[in-house]
Amino acid sequence: MSWKLVLALALIARPAHLGAQTPPSNGTTRLPGRVPAAALPAIDSLIAAAAAESLPTEPLVQKALEGSAKNIPADRLVNGVRRGLLQLRQARAIVSHAVPGQAPPEGHVAAVAAALARGLSGPIVERLITVAPNEPPGPALHAAADLVAHRFDPDSAADLLVEAHNKGLRGVRLLDVAVAADHELQRPGGRTPSEALAHVRAMLPNVPTPARRP
Amino acid sequence: MSPLDPRLQEALDGERDPGDLPLDLRDAYTRLTVATQLLEAPPPVSVASRVMAEIRRGPPPVLNEGLARRLLHWWLGRPRAVTVRLRPVWTLALAAGLATVLLLPWSSGIPTPGVAQGIANFVGHFPGARSVEVVGSFNDWSRGVLHLNDDDGDGIWHGEAVLPAGPHEYMFVVDGERWVPDPLAGRYVDDGFGAGQQNSLLIVRPASAQP
Repeated sequence: MSWKLVLALALIARPAHLGAQTPPSNGTTRLPGRVPAAALPAIDSLIAAAAAESLPTEPLVQKALEGSAKNIPADRLVNGVRRGLLQLRQARAIVSHAVPGQAPPEGHVAAVAAALARGLSGPIVERLITVAPNEPPGPALHAAADLVAHRFDPDSAADLLVEAHNKGLRGVRLLDVAVAADHELQRPGGRTPSEALAHVRAMLPNVPTPARRP
Repeated sequence: MSPLDPRLQEALDGERDPGDLPLDLRDAYTRLTVATQLLEAPPPVSVASRVMAEIRRGPPPVLNEGLARRLLHWWLGRPRAVTVRLRPVWTLALAAGLATVLLLPWSSGIPTPGVAQGIANFVGHFPGARSVEVVGSFNDWSRGVLHLNDDDGDGIWHGEAVLPAGPHEYMFVVDGERWVPDPLAGRYVDDGFGAGQQNSLLIVRPASAQP
């Protein structure tokens, strides 16, 4: 085997090998050069606080990058990231209450924070998590947020989603429940929200799958 | 070789008048004299010129098509010993290139999504726009990564991308400066910067769950 071949194989193998030794990053290395210098220390501090509390930092990094791309003034940019940190803390409290006695499953806190940002209330979020504590809560929470955004009663929306879960629907299929309810609401002839929900409940678990765009 | 008649030899040497020769010898004398003159005269076209002329004329069309095909079959079908010398590095590179060519999907303009990925479609109606791009959490809110196209100039801009399955916030950036929510997104979320601006929200289904 020639030395060139050995070198090539070593170069191919190198990234995965080194990746295992690289210390975890909280994402702040992506901020310098993109986030205004005036906002960077405060944002770094907020992200460090999240990391110290074992909260996910990626939503905060994304918020900082988003605000910088939109040329948001430094003070509002920092406030936006701070608001994100507060939502993460609130989300962790909700998850801890819904799933007591164990560390919050990976992804739950960020998903709950996103649901809070969409306007779902804490009790509705907690109820939906409690139904399936070990499943990724994102689809159910977004389905609930979709229904609430279309002016369905939050508790009735949660009832429908719990029933859909009990009838075997999981993951993105729960989003189809919300889409079906919205279609029933917009059907010619006019249905009230409660009539639309009742109609979808009657068809569970056989809600249609949307054509292409979710 | 038969000996030359002495009288004919003398006539050829100029020592005897050819008219004194008998008739048969006179005839032989005439033929020999003509031959001698031909040998002494320079050829009208040199040998080299004639060879070059033959070369320029090209190959003669001697083989018909059927025969040529049979000869080709015979030549191709005959087993031959071939020696191939390979450098391992270049062989690996060639194999990697072939694998890339064979594994990449050429029927579509975008790569095939993985298990935890899905295809996102973006469509926007922006008549008169010079450029439209999508900026969002899936590309770290970076500009210049995902451009939409309006090839027919009808003002409808569209594009596709393979994204990780799950929720993504995004906005359209029109003409490089105007940030616009996707009117077809159906889901929106306050961007949290206090001005009431909303991001569009896209939930990408895993490819296995896409219709």
